[in-house]
Amino acid sequence: MEAVLRAVTVDDTRSVGEALAPLLEPRDAVVLTGELGAGKTTFVQGVARGLGIEDQVVSPTFTLIKEYSGRLDVAHVDVYRLDRVQDVMDLGLDELGQGEDVLLVEWGDVVEELLPVARLRVELTAEDPDGGSEVRRIALSGRGSSWEERWPALATAVGPWTVAS
Amino acid sequence: MAGAGHRRGPLDGGVVIVVGIETSTPRTSVAVGDGQDILASISLAGKARQESATPALEYLLGATGLDLAKVAGIAVGVGPGLFTGLRVGVETAKTLAQVLHIPIVGLSSLDTLAYAVRHTHKRIAAVIDGRRGEVFFSLYRSVPGGVVRETEPAVVKPDGLTAELEAVTEEVLAVGNGAMLYRHELEELKRVEVGTSVSAHPEAAVLVELAVPRFLREEFDRPFDIVPLYLRKSDAEIAWDQRARGAQA
Repeated sequence: MEAVLRAVTVDDTRSVGEALAPLLEPRDAVVLTGELGAGKTTFVQGVARGLGIEDQVVSPTFTLIKEYSGRLDVAHVDVYRLDRVQDVMDLGLDELGQGEDVLLVEWGDVVEELLPVARLRVELTAEDPDGGSEVRRIALSGRGSSWEERWPALATAVGPWTVAS
Repeated sequence: MAGAGHRRGPLDGGVVIVVGIETSTPRTSVAVGDGQDILASISLAGKARQESATPALEYLLGATGLDLAKVAGIAVGVGPGLFTGLRVGVETAKTLAQVLHIPIVGLSSLDTLAYAVRHTHKRIAAVIDGRRGEVFFSLYRSVPGGVVRETEPAVVKPDGLTAELEAVTEEVLAVGNGAMLYRHELEELKRVEVGTSVSAHPEAAVLVELAVPRFLREEFDRPFDIVPLYLRKSDAEIAWDQRARGAQA
């Protein structure tokens, strides 16, 4: 289950996140990878908008976790500042919102073994990493049977940006 | 301060009033007991529980007319259990103990769970759901007046738990929310009986009863030694490689 998308502007990246939002279910884990400035928080802002979350979403790099309430309860997590696996475990991610929260985890790929098995990976790459270009390659990959069931709907939702799948 | 010059001791007047706080599972319970009796207790599940330990204690003290200054000791469940609740419970208990200058005792949530059903003739398996497909588990034997822990608390997967219990040659009573969660797997073992919701969570009232003798014998813990028992300890470093690349940004 993979799809590669191309977002031309920052707003476009946000819109991809927004398009994904209706497909999310409680206890989902969305793992966001990509270098600093790749658009992870921007993508989460789109997801938040799609879930009807009205609070402004900012990077939780220094707060580690920020919870939001919308159609679903969401925990936006950033493990960038953590050095030890124990620190991530101490966040108690699987207990947030009684274990019902959708987890959106920036830099989550390094601690994937601590996240729920069923997860969606969102990999953001700047097409021109040295320039000021806003173009991003967004690779989506799903794991687990629940994403398998949702994949056709997801493919439709992100169809406008899809370059390969 | 009332009673200036006379430090309130746990044996003052032969009565020891203990506040118990248990937050190891998705339930918060708070109780006040005096060694003879549980004076009041409250036990809450659900979303509101996480901030409920302190308000629950205030309510109990108000309802019983007990003055916080009369409390001689704090007992707290230290897990094993879930991070979120344990952090709140343990910190609340330590803060109370330090502010009131009274001793504190930390007890295993599995001990509390087992002690609640000590009147069984069966072996007791205390099992707390640890999420992520794992449980926290210890095996106990009833003895007059209490229980004796026979295995160190461990974190195991359900099949590990069934293997452990299968190896027990006697009948087993498995209690706790972890046992209930894997009821089906456990009940396939013929000698295992699974407890119900009344024995699903370590309760503060039980904790208080278990802790009172510790206060009477003045076997206190040092507040800084009381830390949540998570069991899933990891000294591993996160395998960062891409962070270095972008770290200058």
